Amino acid sequence: MSALWIALRLGWRNLWRNPRRSLITLAAIAAAYAFLIGMIGLMEGLKNQLLRNGTRLQLGDFQIHESTYLPDRNINDTIGADEGVDLQAVLARISTQPEVEGLSARVYGFGLLSTGSFSSGAQLLGVDPAAELFVTTLLRGLRPGSSLPAGGARGLILGQALAEEIHARPGAEVAVVTQSADGTLGNDLFHVVGILRTGLSYQDRSLAVTHRSDLQELLALAPGRVHEVAGRIRDPLRADRVCALLNGSGLLPPHTKAQSWGELSPQLRDYVKLSESTNGLMIFLVALFAAFGVLNTTMMAVFERTREIGMLGSLGMRPALILLTILLESLFLGLLGLAGGFGIGALIMSYLATHGWDLSRWVGEVSMLGTRMDPILKGAWSWGQVGWAAGGLIAATLLAAFLPARRVAWMQPVAALAAPTEG
Amino acid sequence: MRYPKSGPLAILVLLTVCPSLGGEVTGGSRQAPEIDARKIIDRIDRLLRGDSSIGTMEMSVVTSRWRRDMTLALWSEGTDKVLVKVLAPKKEAGTATLKSGSDIWNYLPKIDRTIRIPTSMMMASWMGSHYTNDDLVKESRLVRDYDIKLSFDGVRDGQEIYEFTLTPLPRAPVVWGRIITEVRQKDLMPLQSKYYAEDGRLKRTLAFSRFREMGGRLVPAVMHMTPEDKPGEYTEIRYTELKFDVPLPPDTFSLAALRK
Repeated sequence: MSALWIALRLGWRNLWRNPRRSLITLAAIAAAYAFLIGMIGLMEGLKNQLLRNGTRLQLGDFQIHESTYLPDRNINDTIGADEGVDLQAVLARISTQPEVEGLSARVYGFGLLSTGSFSSGAQLLGVDPAAELFVTTLLRGLRPGSSLPAGGARGLILGQALAEEIHARPGAEVAVVTQSADGTLGNDLFHVVGILRTGLSYQDRSLAVTHRSDLQELLALAPGRVHEVAGRIRDPLRADRVCALLNGSGLLPPHTKAQSWGELSPQLRDYVKLSESTNGLMIFLVALFAAFGVLNTTMMAVFERTREIGMLGSLGMRPALILLTILLESLFLGLLGLAGGFGIGALIMSYLATHGWDLSRWVGEVSMLGTRMDPILKGAWSWGQVGWAAGGLIAATLLAAFLPARRVAWMQPVAALAAPTEG
Repeated sequence: MRYPKSGPLAILVLLTVCPSLGGEVTGGSRQAPEIDARKIIDRIDRLLRGDSSIGTMEMSVVTSRWRRDMTLALWSEGTDKVLVKVLAPKKEAGTATLKSGSDIWNYLPKIDRTIRIPTSMMMASWMGSHYTNDDLVKESRLVRDYDIKLSFDGVRDGQEIYEFTLTPLPRAPVVWGRIITEVRQKDLMPLQSKYYAEDGRLKRTLAFSRFREMGGRLVPAVMHMTPEDKPGEYTEIRYTELKFDVPLPPDTFSLAALRK
């Protein structure tokens, strides 16, 4: 029978010699781990939310434009230039990329909206509502029962503040006047089918959404001419790579380029980075405190058993083996604690992921950097960080056992036996 | 000193010629005593003043992508009432703009709607041209808002001219940082005005030509506006007919007339 096997069996048996003490330590580890899992989950959720709010409202994960379109947004700089493109074919080609989940071709314009005496300038956005729903939540903010009708019906969805400014309610008739691509004064009557409330004051004040074909007609643009294709991918964090792939793939029409949300909105990228690093620091600090708690409990457990360890020594057990036994016992304790903690953590996370944590009581409605903050914070798993937290706690447990065990294992058995008895 | 009442020339002249001529009104005489500023004022005032006017003009808007030629009819009264109607092309015939005081209304025959232009759209293009809605409504206040100096007096490009430099007075509510206007000496007709932004960059040049008699007055029949930030683009207005001091029916500048 090898020494390791002895140490393993002894370690396991020792664990249950004093169940109360072991369970207390185990509970401390489990509680620390569960807490960390919840904490990491909330931080990850916050980051995801920030990213989702930033990209899912209107930006998308990436956008494709004619290379000269940004930043001036000239009406004539459509994808494929004046000739336009076979839009369906281009969209189908981009869809072949495995990570792409949705694509929405958009047309932009700037126009004057008027109900007679009340007029206001507005940003006109033409979309295919079905496609847009796969990319952004823009049209989900509509009041119930309202949706954009098919092209030709000239339905119009207005930002809430814009609608109020021109005194337009659903059903109202709005004259839209704009300068068309051919220089003429494009004008037509639209009727309001919905009011949009994005939560972003700028959008609510200026955005007017209509069907893409209706806007193309108003702007005298052929059906194949669009200004933008916005796309959604499975993991927004991979947007840069997907864009690099698209740009190098030859799938895009000439003179166009794909840009990730990070390139399109550097502030959002900076903010996500900032939140990642502050989250990392916070988790590190919490993990450190948790490790100290575990360290304390484990140390006390070993100190309590000084007499017992002295007994093993006086029976002729080698100090190294004694140390190994104690370390293995701590390892078992740590693993059991992590398992328990993971169970509790998973329960917390399942609650946080489905119900979230409603912060509205404290923060109300917040918009930040052009993205709306959802007052309900939902948790999300970050397996890497959860793994690191487990490793950190195990290391703390082993360290906590090692420090007192090393001292005691090499103690004179007589001195050890003289130590106060446990309990 | 008096304001140049904007005048008989049409809508755009009101805003462009008249201010630039107005520029001569003050200022310069102290540097060049031989120029009688008052005389110039009177002359220009007489030239431009009319209680009312009727006319037609052609407007060509040329951009890097398209060219549009329109024929417009216009009516004006005093300084603040102007009505412009598109006669051609057919597709846009009937489209009309009414300026009344500081308000601008557009009538769009295709949808049969009258629309008031909000303040926020004042810097937007008027009828697709290089003029803004603001160019239509702003009053000729150069005399009040600018310090006017004679900056050149002599022969340039083969003709004797006066060059006036207008710099805005402190706190004057104006968009330009400087305006330089050239006037030919022989008949005090404006030749060109250059408009500079506050940072000193040239923004646009308005050139006058084809001086001829219309409605019994010598006027520049062609105004050519070149925006500096859009190379190759311009808007040119050519007056084809002008009558001054014509009695106009009282409802000429009403919203109802706009739609007719």
